[in-house]
Amino acid sequence: MTTNNQDSLLHLLYQGVGQVFSRSPALARLWGSTFNALRFGETPFAAMRTPLDRARIALITTGGVHTVDQQPYDMNDPRGDPTFRAIPADIARDQLTITHDYYDHRDAEKDLNILFPLELFRELEQLQIIGSLATCYSFMGHIKPPYVETLLCTTAPQAAGMLKQDRVDAVLLTPA
Amino acid sequence: MGLIARTIEATGTPTVALNGLKDIAEKVRPPRTVHLKWPFGHPLGEPGNRAQQLVVIYYALLALYDVLAPGVILEPGWRWRRERYVEPHDWRMP
Repeated sequence: MTTNNQDSLLHLLYQGVGQVFSRSPALARLWGSTFNALRFGETPFAAMRTPLDRARIALITTGGVHTVDQQPYDMNDPRGDPTFRAIPADIARDQLTITHDYYDHRDAEKDLNILFPLELFRELEQLQIIGSLATCYSFMGHIKPPYVETLLCTTAPQAAGMLKQDRVDAVLLTPA
Repeated sequence: MGLIARTIEATGTPTVALNGLKDIAEKVRPPRTVHLKWPFGHPLGEPGNRAQQLVVIYYALLALYDVLAPGVILEPGWRWRRERYVEPHDWRMP
């Protein structure tokens, strides 16, 4: 079997499993209990010191969101895509789309706030409940070796650096 | 997603992560986690349920201030459906 055929079969397998898990949270939890995730003993921690009404907040999702002008995440490689996309805080809803074959995002397409609550945070900014909404970011959260290392050593640090440069006070992360 | 949260927090920026799979959060140990047993693709709830979405956001933002130790997993225990959500009105944080 060629590598391309193997990749296609793996993609189909992950796609099917992702759709099943989207419909059955109990099955997804069973999978999660056996998933060989990286284990850490220590956890970094930074105290939140900025009052909410002065805080600059960014959102990050791993739900595969991107603008219609940006390159979609790579769905041909079953190991995933560790790259990320910057999402302007003021972008119109109709300029956003989702590329992620490994979960059911039909409801998120109907109401993106259930996955990536950009519109709700813009309201919170207008109401001065938060200080401001910063540029947000999206990843595609189906990342397998060797891309876990790419994420850890390259792309996640890049995003973290951009958040620092933008003087972001706190980040809310939402999964697929 | 926990890996991204950890990387950001390590640069000094506080994070809070929603999570649907507690077992994975227990292994990866993001700095602050809000665990909800809801289906993939619905970390903030049902489409059109604005009150539910805002309650989740409020709770997550509150966790930024309330959680004082790394690796805490909060479990509000809200049901996916058949739960009455009331839009938060007072957003003052401690």
